[in-house]
Amino acid sequence: MTLWAVVIAASVAVGFAGVMVFSRSLYVSAVCLLVVLLQTGVIFLLRGAPLLAFLQVMVYAGAVMVLVVITIMATGGEPEAGFRRFADFSFPKWLAYLGMSTAAFEIAATMAVGGSGGVGVPPMGPVLSAGFAHVLFSSYALATEAVTLLMFLAALAVLPDKEAA
Amino acid sequence: MTSAIWATTGILFAGGLMMAVLRRQLLAMLLGVELMLAAVNVALVHHAELFSDAQGMAAVAILIAIAAAEAVVGLSLILRVLRSGKGVEAGALTRLRG
Repeated sequence: MTLWAVVIAASVAVGFAGVMVFSRSLYVSAVCLLVVLLQTGVIFLLRGAPLLAFLQVMVYAGAVMVLVVITIMATGGEPEAGFRRFADFSFPKWLAYLGMSTAAFEIAATMAVGGSGGVGVPPMGPVLSAGFAHVLFSSYALATEAVTLLMFLAALAVLPDKEAA
Repeated sequence: MTSAIWATTGILFAGGLMMAVLRRQLLAMLLGVELMLAAVNVALVHHAELFSDAQGMAAVAILIAIAAAEAVVGLSLILRVLRSGKGVEAGALTRLRG
């Protein structure tokens, strides 16, 4: 059952990745990438990594993709930039219906199967869970701090400098 | 299961690589890099769970944070290039200035 759930999520991810690669509109590509990232989050969940699935949805699909879409919208309306033809903001209806129906199906399937305690979402094993926390805050502690500093520096990158202001 | 994950990872990575190499728009190249990173994360999570390897999970958590920082820096650079009037095509960026 978990295999079929992974196959469904992977198929949807691959389909939307194909649309993303071959679409001429950057807006359509960005929304398709959002669906792909959500599906990879579902795969994380099905593979027993709920924390990483949560991080994936929150950081990637929540924060990064909103930034990307806002950047496309902020730059797409400038005809002098030669950018208009790549920022068609109309999204294909069939694609939207497909994405929404797949998401609804996955949510319903997870609730129906996970509630019975049969197959559903496999929990992360206690050994692996403890090991994950131990690695993240012991041997990977320096890397975790470095990533925190990197995030702070990245936040500084969006501040306007004196010349731009 | 492993073959399905490998196929998904390969197709997603190839799609991202195609997008990063073949498209000329800076934003499209950035989206391709994000797709490649997502593909790598899927493979890492699967094998971390398969071999009960906590280090793989930690690597994915750090990769997600690094990818978010990379996207923020990339987007701010693209906006800066756009404001300088050079457009959003990668071919227009041929010179560096200190």
